[in-house]
Amino acid sequence: MARKASRVVDVRRAAEARTDVLSTAAGTLAGMEVTLRNMVRATVGREHVTIQYPEQRKPYSRRFRGVHVLTHRADGSLKCTACYLCETVCPAQCITIEAKDVDDPRVEKAPSRYEIDLARCIFCGFCVEACPEEALIMSREYDLTAITRGPETLTYGIDRLTERPEIAAYGAGFRPHMQYPLVESYLPGEGPEKAAAEE
Amino acid sequence: MPIVTIDGRQIEVEQGVSVIQAADRLGVEIPRFCYHPDLRPEGNCRMCLVEVDGFPKPVVACATPVVDGMVVKTPHTSPVASRAARGVLEFLLVNHPLDCPICDQAGECSLQDFYMHPDYGQHRSHVDPEEKIHKRKRVNLGPRIVLDAERCVMCSRCVRFSEEVSGYAELQFVRRGNHVELTAFEDRVLEDPYAGNLADVCPVGALTSRDFRFKRRVWHLSHTDSVCAGCSTGCNVRIDHFDGHIERVVPRRNPEVNRSWICDEGRLSYQSLTSIPRLTHPREGDRRLLWAEAIALAHETLHSAGAVTGLPLAALASASATNESLWLFRQYVEVAFPQHLLEFRLGREMETVAEREDKLLRRADKHPNTMGALHLGYGRGLGLKGLLDLAEKGELSRLLMLYYPPLVGQEAEETKERIAGLLARVPESVVLTTHELPYLTGAKLLLPVAAWSEEEGTYTNHQGVTQHVGKAISLREAVRPATDILGDLWQVATAARRETAPERLFREIAMSVPAFRGLSYAGLESRAATVYPPEGRMHYGQEGFAGR
Repeated sequence: MARKASRVVDVRRAAEARTDVLSTAAGTLAGMEVTLRNMVRATVGREHVTIQYPEQRKPYSRRFRGVHVLTHRADGSLKCTACYLCETVCPAQCITIEAKDVDDPRVEKAPSRYEIDLARCIFCGFCVEACPEEALIMSREYDLTAITRGPETLTYGIDRLTERPEIAAYGAGFRPHMQYPLVESYLPGEGPEKAAAEE
Repeated sequence: MPIVTIDGRQIEVEQGVSVIQAADRLGVEIPRFCYHPDLRPEGNCRMCLVEVDGFPKPVVACATPVVDGMVVKTPHTSPVASRAARGVLEFLLVNHPLDCPICDQAGECSLQDFYMHPDYGQHRSHVDPEEKIHKRKRVNLGPRIVLDAERCVMCSRCVRFSEEVSGYAELQFVRRGNHVELTAFEDRVLEDPYAGNLADVCPVGALTSRDFRFKRRVWHLSHTDSVCAGCSTGCNVRIDHFDGHIERVVPRRNPEVNRSWICDEGRLSYQSLTSIPRLTHPREGDRRLLWAEAIALAHETLHSAGAVTGLPLAALASASATNESLWLFRQYVEVAFPQHLLEFRLGREMETVAEREDKLLRRADKHPNTMGALHLGYGRGLGLKGLLDLAEKGELSRLLMLYYPPLVGQEAEETKERIAGLLARVPESVVLTTHELPYLTGAKLLLPVAAWSEEEGTYTNHQGVTQHVGKAISLREAVRPATDILGDLWQVATAARRETAPERLFREIAMSVPAFRGLSYAGLESRAATVYPPEGRMHYGQEGFAGR
């Protein structure tokens, strides 16, 4: 059986032959449908889908894993018992703890140094999950920037992990142990009275 | 000799060996608290209960001697023994505090390990934490030991240690039943110079070391097997270090040398490595030198003066140096200086090498390698005193010295004065040392060498036992091992390269020195196959069983 002679088609030329200005413009506009709709909404209806960051910010999830916070007890002392579980579990090895004896007879030990190298931290939240005392939690603070790396900028010690204005501004984030009634830990500026009043 | 079958495996042991010892030799792990190979068996913890064919009830493996034909089943294979061990463990955990995250023993705790064991652990406690009986915590038992009575399992290892081994007998149990508590008489502090061992024998966190308190969690530590350099006894130790710092030193069991013990001075001797400033760079007066300059200058210093005056070179190497350093030191001196006076004695090392300071371990000679120096042909010269006399007469113009300050105690005042006097009178002196010491400032050239724990090698103790010393931490700044420096000096003097790896040097020693004949470096490393904790217990999750 003789084969049917095949016809060679130059696809590109065929496409060019069928192209005209109108259909090109229509395709582009179709692709920009969402953009244009939002433009009309913003200009006519004043409904903005973008925000004026950093003056405006969006609320993040209550479970957001942001910069860490060290919580305290009702009497204001650090909850951390320097058990090193967070340091042990940390996959980025960014936590450094040194422990000391304390005078409080109910407390065995406390951290004399507690540092998180946030430039190295991957914000996985393992440290918070490992903490048996809810002494370490995460906030919803996400905009962590510095011009240089190093201990004075992105390595947070006890002072910055407990007291920094951002904690109150952003609020608590990832806090997986809060469901357990035994755990009573407070954020900086929070005491048992305030926590009770909120409930 | 009786043949016993444990978990289906047979072993032949001597008469009088207990079941637990036979099991340890087989590598079958029987859980235990009160049994310790270097203490009298007491059989009070009941943790080592095993099933023996023909016996009506489980028996304690630690206090039951092996009888020929005995068939023993441990908790690994016997449901009866497993149930017994589970029951004992549950009793012990009834009042045990929930301290693991803050307890220094966590990670090397018998109770924790047994609780996690699949064959006899893993039960759930039925006791409300609020109902647990509380006892005293954080009791100060002197400068070495902290007692936490709540964590105690009443195994009495510590009581027996202080009665049988150190002889101070300062600890006792008081009260009864649930309220039994360990206490020191009238709560006085422990005066025992071996008190540090109490933290090692304690299988739980009841007695913990004050020196190591809260320093590190044990699972962060790296381990290096070594030998204490505090005196001529040569106790086997394990150096536990983290991030280039020694965190603690614990004994390894060696029945021929130190059994399972170490004195507190030796345990804390690592502190003297950093408590005085270290020599970090080669130095001529106050001028820091690069190593190339320093080696050239040392060669020039030691050779030029001799060529001019024709006087002998005094070569003084401390007996705290390793056999390898001493060997290379001697070879270098013999090759490079036809006229030399070779010496190691700073004081009376030869007479005091075996002299006991107490009945247990400590010895008067604070050099770890005096016997090694003697074997290697040192000690036939004049001694430091004789060299000083020569120097005073003006018959010494050059001195090469390898000096390590003692790790335990201070150098004798007399020795310090003699060294300072020698350096003041000898115009051309090169001193290899570890620390910035005031009595060495008279040296023309100071070269920093690695101290104990920073270099590998061997020491020969007072019994003539040669033991391997490991390298635990890396060298800081421009510090180098003595063998490397001597190798460089050798190269400058002879224009030939010199092998300076410790195992190569040791092979040379073993071939040339009769006292070392037949020894091999690898053999020394493997011979020290003892572990910490000394009772040979396997840690949960650890591969194999390193007991014996």
